[in-house]
Amino acid sequence: MSLSTTFYNAFFKRNSVFVGTVFAGAFAFGIGFDIGVSKFYDTWNKGKQWKDIRHKYVQEE
Amino acid sequence: MATFQAVKKAVTLTPTVRALPSGIPHAPLLNLAARAPHDPHAHGAAGPRADAAPQWAGGVSRTASGLVSKTFTTVSPTSNFQQRYIHTSVARKDAPEVPDFSAYRTNPETNRALSYFMVGSLGVISASAAKSSVSEFLQSMAASADVLALAKVEVDLTTIPEGKNVIIKWRGKPVFIRHRTQSEIDEARSSDWKSFRDPQADEDRVKKPEWLVMLGVCTHLGCVPIGEAGDYGGWFCPCHGSHYDISGRARKGPAPLNLEVPVYEFNETEDKLVIG
Repeated sequence: MSLSTTFYNAFFKRNSVFVGTVFAGAFAFGIGFDIGVSKFYDTWNKGKQWKDIRHKYVQEE
Repeated sequence: MATFQAVKKAVTLTPTVRALPSGIPHAPLLNLAARAPHDPHAHGAAGPRADAAPQWAGGVSRTASGLVSKTFTTVSPTSNFQQRYIHTSVARKDAPEVPDFSAYRTNPETNRALSYFMVGSLGVISASAAKSSVSEFLQSMAASADVLALAKVEVDLTTIPEGKNVIIKWRGKPVFIRHRTQSEIDEARSSDWKSFRDPQADEDRVKKPEWLVMLGVCTHLGCVPIGEAGDYGGWFCPCHGSHYDISGRARKGPAPLNLEVPVYEFNETEDKLVIG
């Protein structure tokens, strides 16, 4: 049994499993997308955000 | 099978002319000598057909019992005769030639998983986009940070001495904070609150007995009552003469309800009161 057939039998054969996989994937994708975009934003603006320069101005007592 | 044949016979129209066992229609009144009518489309001279079989090869002849066809060159059927019916079409056995496309066809087994994967990926992205649209729209209706920051008020309780009133502004409305003395607490708790207009125990109106926090809006028509006044030592509304006791309960006058208690919390560590 080839890989694609295994894949087909695991996810696509039953519509309920297919739709469930799609929704679960959408949930995971949404979280992952948010995390990835925030990571990229933080690296792109490194040293410019308040959380990067906070230690220069605020002294923790 | 037999029933099928019967059904087939039933739905097949029987011939209107009786046929002889040889298959020739029985037509006793047919005039064989009649000539074909003049037909401009017929090529050649009018008259009997020239390609008719010669008399010696058989042919149709009239007898007393009707038309009889004799063919000498073939053997006439002797048994197992089956009557033929007239059909308008002939079943065509060979289909028109279709080129063989099998060399160009992809294998559906190998492509199936990929096709479904693409469909599923589109579904994942669409569902994610729909979910984020809905949640962003709902978030746009939530209160913004500056509104939330203004919605709370902090009061330093150490600055309020015992037996004093403090009026602060919270969400555009006055809030009464009274540091009650022990005698005031006793007075508020000892009264027979079940007979009041809006029966409410003092224990239900305060979180700490010495701190009374309530909205300074008269429940009658929304004036601001005056503190340390009235017949019951609490608040008195100058607009229409409502009297509130030391627990803020309506005792006299037109006010239908007790003074409203807002949502508040005590910050024990810093001795502060947070309203909202």
